[in-house]
Amino acid sequence: MRKTGLYLLLLPGVLFLTLFMVIPIVMTIASTFYQDGSFTIQGYLQFLTDAYFLKIMLTTLQVSLVTTIACVLIGFPAAYYISKLGPRKKGILLALAIFPLLTSSVVRSFSWMIILGKKGLLNSSLLAIGLIDKPLEILYTPTAMMIGLIHLFLPLIIITLVGVMENIDPDLLKAAESLGASKLTAFWKVIVPLSVPGLIIGSILVFVGSLTAYTTPALLGGKQRVISTFLYQNAITLNDWHLASVIATIMIVITFVVIYFMNKLATKLNPKG
Amino acid sequence: MKKLLAGILSFSMMSLALAGCGSNDQPQAGGAGGEAKGEPQKLVISTWGFSEDFFRKEVYEPFEKEHNVKIVLEIGNNAERLNKIRQGSSDVDLIYLSDYYAQQGIESGAFEKIDRSRIPNLDQIYDIAKAPLGEEYGPAYTIGQFGIAYNPKLVKTEIKDWKDLWNPELAGKLTLPSITSTTGPMVLDSASQIAGSKEFNEDQAFAKMKEVNQGVVKFYDKTSEYVNMFGQEEIGVGPIMEMYFKDIKAAVPEAVFVQPASGGYAVMNTVNIVKGSKNKALAEDFINYQLSKEVQEKTAKAKIDSPVNKTVQLTEEEAKGVTYGEETVSKLRMMDMKFVNEHSKAWIDRWNREITQ
Repeated sequence: MRKTGLYLLLLPGVLFLTLFMVIPIVMTIASTFYQDGSFTIQGYLQFLTDAYFLKIMLTTLQVSLVTTIACVLIGFPAAYYISKLGPRKKGILLALAIFPLLTSSVVRSFSWMIILGKKGLLNSSLLAIGLIDKPLEILYTPTAMMIGLIHLFLPLIIITLVGVMENIDPDLLKAAESLGASKLTAFWKVIVPLSVPGLIIGSILVFVGSLTAYTTPALLGGKQRVISTFLYQNAITLNDWHLASVIATIMIVITFVVIYFMNKLATKLNPKG
Repeated sequence: MKKLLAGILSFSMMSLALAGCGSNDQPQAGGAGGEAKGEPQKLVISTWGFSEDFFRKEVYEPFEKEHNVKIVLEIGNNAERLNKIRQGSSDVDLIYLSDYYAQQGIESGAFEKIDRSRIPNLDQIYDIAKAPLGEEYGPAYTIGQFGIAYNPKLVKTEIKDWKDLWNPELAGKLTLPSITSTTGPMVLDSASQIAGSKEFNEDQAFAKMKEVNQGVVKFYDKTSEYVNMFGQEEIGVGPIMEMYFKDIKAAVPEAVFVQPASGGYAVMNTVNIVKGSKNKALAEDFINYQLSKEVQEKTAKAKIDSPVNKTVQLTEEEAKGVTYGEETVSKLRMMDMKFVNEHSKAWIDRWNREITQ
């Protein structure tokens, strides 16, 4: 009796997710296999044998991968530093790290336009100190897109890493050092492996986020397309919902594949985690 | 508690009754008479949303008062809004679209046929605006010119015609509309002409586009993007509709608008009634009102929409930045929207593959 009561508590959430997430996603995926009433995989064949589509996919994967690696490289030391601080300072720094999340990605993209443009802050300072004699072309290139995405997703990886690093027992470091490990070895052999779960979750969030981001590539990117802007064009401008669903399904599959391999990597790096 | 419940119940009963009144009033309010009382009707208009304050005060409010109606807006760009009504789940009565998108709407059967006898102001507008997409569908309420704007600080050579956009000196300073925007096919058409073809020739047009592509900073989807890039001096030149030149000039006072020597293109914005609208008569009244001298003059003087009503008189000062006068309008190049629409999918695909790489 008590148990059934507890299950009832789950009901609203499960119902909501089933109605508004599971069913629509299953319907989207199912619809890609039916055209004019019969089963077909034509949509996928068309997509996967077309050099143009593959190039878009490759660009997207490249951008997402570079963004993820950059976020890890920048986020890891920052997160480690924050996790070592006393509660007061930690609170302030965490709030600062999260702060960018409070503005919309449109606003942030516009700020990057002002910074990266030909007359922007970056180019005018570089010109003023004489490092360059012609403005760099950054805005409307994949570089601008990646800068925007790194800014967008860095907080995610910092938050997840701080959460994990806080729970690493400082005595472990002391133990390692008392057994003769240098500070660097101790960091490498103790902190890094124990941070792997946070690293994996953070990387998945960043990777999937970059893969599906629409606003930042649309505003900061130039002529080249990524999957999300291509999907938008098919659905909204061309009204081709079939191809749009095929693209959506491919994005879902990529997401799951990435999560699978990240988890594999995690068990390899940290077998006990 | 009981009292409160009863209060709520009776209140909702009352509003239900009032709502009933409202729908009973429909034929009356739909007519010319403005004496209909009770709950106002709701007219949902789907439009772009620029100069919303102006339209709210100068255009919608007088109509709301006269017809006892409440105008509700749905805002977005052409593609998004057309898509919504295509999905069939919206309550939009009237939709403003550029001719390019309106033609797509017609072909997917999204519009109601209009009754021209109920729109007498049609007699006052330019012939080309009366039925740009066929007698059964809505008129163009404004005709704008698609020409070229440039910033003489960044672009030293004078721009006179479409072919000047192919000047290699403009590389890194040029923007063009994306093929999916209303004016995209116009640039493709001009490319075909510059390549020396009288009739539209797809292969020649794309070959010519490839020549200019290297120098394009970005293809713009929205006019606001253009204005933004122009203001930040990311670009110095590009084709744009004359009606937006005032925004460009506000950002860059030196900017120049060029009416291309071989002719600018006509961009017509149309207004149509959405299939299944419950307020068809009222919507027709609104179209008639939109074409009236009163509204056309107001929007022209505010430099928001170029007029199509021939009785509108503008001074030289008032006509600045507005596509005005029968002579100007007659010189504009017209695209055959049926032809464009038949080929747009193939063009977009080819553009994606050959140009946006």
